[in-house]
Amino acid sequence: MPLATRSATGGTSDTPGAAGVRIRGLTVVYKTPAGELPAVRDINLELPAGTVTGLVGESGSGKSTLALSLLNAVQPPGRIAAGQVEIDGIGDVVGLRGERLRKVRGGQVGYVFQAAQNSLNPLKTVGKQLLDLGRSHDVDNLRALVAEAKQLLGRMGLDGARVLDSYQHELSGGMRQRVGIMFALVLNAHLVVLDEPTTALDMITQANILEIIRDIHAERGLTTLVITHDIGVVAEVADRLAVMYGGQVVEQGPVRTVLGDPHHPYTRGLIRAIPRLTGGIDEAQALPGRPPNLMTLPTQGCVFRERCPLRMEVCETVDPPRVHLAGRLVACHAMTGPSDVTPTGHEGATR
Amino acid sequence: MISGRGIVKTFRQRGDVLGKREVKALRGVDFTIPRGGAISFIGESGCGKTTLGRIIAGLETYDEGELTIDGVAMSSLRPRAQQPHFRRVQLIHQDPYSALNPTRTIHQALHDPLKLRARQLGASSSWMYQRARELLQLVDLDPDHVLARYPHQLSGGMRQRVVIARSLTVDPDVLIADEAVSMIDVSLRLGILSLLRDLRERLGVSLLYITHDVATARYIGADGDMYVIYRGQIIERGPTETVIANPVHPYTQSLLSAIPVLYGMEQPGPEQVKPLNPADAGTDDSGAAAAQAGIDDTGCLFADRCPFRTDRCTAETPVLGLAAPEHQDDVAETGGGRVHACFHPIPRQVAATSVQKT
Repeated sequence: MPLATRSATGGTSDTPGAAGVRIRGLTVVYKTPAGELPAVRDINLELPAGTVTGLVGESGSGKSTLALSLLNAVQPPGRIAAGQVEIDGIGDVVGLRGERLRKVRGGQVGYVFQAAQNSLNPLKTVGKQLLDLGRSHDVDNLRALVAEAKQLLGRMGLDGARVLDSYQHELSGGMRQRVGIMFALVLNAHLVVLDEPTTALDMITQANILEIIRDIHAERGLTTLVITHDIGVVAEVADRLAVMYGGQVVEQGPVRTVLGDPHHPYTRGLIRAIPRLTGGIDEAQALPGRPPNLMTLPTQGCVFRERCPLRMEVCETVDPPRVHLAGRLVACHAMTGPSDVTPTGHEGATR
Repeated sequence: MISGRGIVKTFRQRGDVLGKREVKALRGVDFTIPRGGAISFIGESGCGKTTLGRIIAGLETYDEGELTIDGVAMSSLRPRAQQPHFRRVQLIHQDPYSALNPTRTIHQALHDPLKLRARQLGASSSWMYQRARELLQLVDLDPDHVLARYPHQLSGGMRQRVVIARSLTVDPDVLIADEAVSMIDVSLRLGILSLLRDLRERLGVSLLYITHDVATARYIGADGDMYVIYRGQIIERGPTETVIANPVHPYTQSLLSAIPVLYGMEQPGPEQVKPLNPADAGTDDSGAAAAQAGIDDTGCLFADRCPFRTDRCTAETPVLGLAAPEHQDDVAETGGGRVHACFHPIPRQVAATSVQKT
């Protein structure tokens, strides 16, 4: 069935299978009264084709800004100041303009927005919005598009015909989220970005949506980026984890490796701050201090030093190097010191 | 101490003959908040837990049942006479961004309730100023920094602390925290939770914690009772650790199974339960639609989603308080005090457990 749609979409996509993404040296700045401040600074991140990557960060960490730059959709007063976002079969998105960019958005790159309920038009039925999407992407065979949408919705456990006939207020939160996923995939995108896909959903609905994301990812051979503040969501759904803090990726690697033995002090603190269902209640420890915003973000040195238990003098002035350690990439001075020592033997790496 | 017996609340939607609908938000709920204790209400959205919290705070009326505050039955009092009782119950809202007036400084926000309190106590205006500073210190804020500021100048975590300080201005006995940390950054959540725990110890206030996040409920009230609510009915109740480690109601088990597992650090419970048609397929949010449709109320409310249902579940209505399960030996040490509403209670281990590091 996906083949039928590809011809229906006018052959905009010639690359079957998942599309990998390479982000290099990406810097996004926002214009403020205090000058242009970087919300995302010099990020290198690869989304290997066919994987689910979870991007975790608190509010203001730059995770949504990073995701929007995958569509080259950073809104003024923000702009991409440097770097490349290379997507297989599309090229460098940062260089795209006008009509070509519009085709990529929603066509080859699907984006499920945060709070799907707010991204649907309240005055139009879901079906009407689907047709709008089809027309704006020059789909010749709208019938095939509707059929594909119904099939996708059916796959997610919804009654397709009924949902297409509904207005957004007639759908529950979990259903709207699934409609958002349908919109992202119906034009046969190979790269899907989900921004906070389960925020404001109940536990059981969340588990259900995560299962759908995982299954659809595997069935359609996608490359998926899930953005969230909830490490639990990433642990459930992703293969790889990237932790953002203050506009930088401080640690990235395979999910189980990182969660099993986090190295960066922020990752460690974040995981320790999550109350758990079993074990000692006071094992959960709050992370001192508070996350920086654009104004309080240090312009040089480590962005996490204000809250860091391993803070050293060098953290004030020198940007931490990114080092490969035990299967992941960590940006921390404390990890570089005795480089010959095995990382697991490092003080504080153990509880 | 606050207790409720058989609280019933039905929302009626106005409309003509066809448009008239009834939503049973609460179907006869019993609960007790012990003095200085902590209890938690767990459930999905639309299950009635927030309505119950609002009723306890005196912000909502109830149709049947009796709410008793320190031995005084509220239904016997006129609304005006109820006020001093409800003053002792304060609600902390979910959203610290909308709970504070953006045009008023923190000092002004604290000033009004303090003025009320000062009049009751016959205290002076210098007391009010002093008290505002004290309260901010109590919630770990720096009064010199915070008092003159507007809400938008504070972070989410700080605002929630201000909201908590404001609720303490009237010296309440009970704090109701309704999803009090769900809108706060992950690294700051634990700080707010431990503050609430701390206030309970230092001031002796009782806590009612309303949430769908079971782990935070455990953090706040591991020594108290947990109430699991489904479609306006308590379906399991017991000491928090017992309910988490040995849930017997399939709905509690589904809820606990749905909590994300931190793979790498945790392993999923061995007997995870998945509700049938979890996809709220074709209907509105889970129970809400069925409740609206007024589908026959006989039988277990969870029967249509329960993977273990039998004929008995649709024919008879289970009542809260059935005896603990037959597998007494499993729960022998903690079996006391737990009640449930299920015909086939079998304890299952569904909660994720930490992977032992070697």
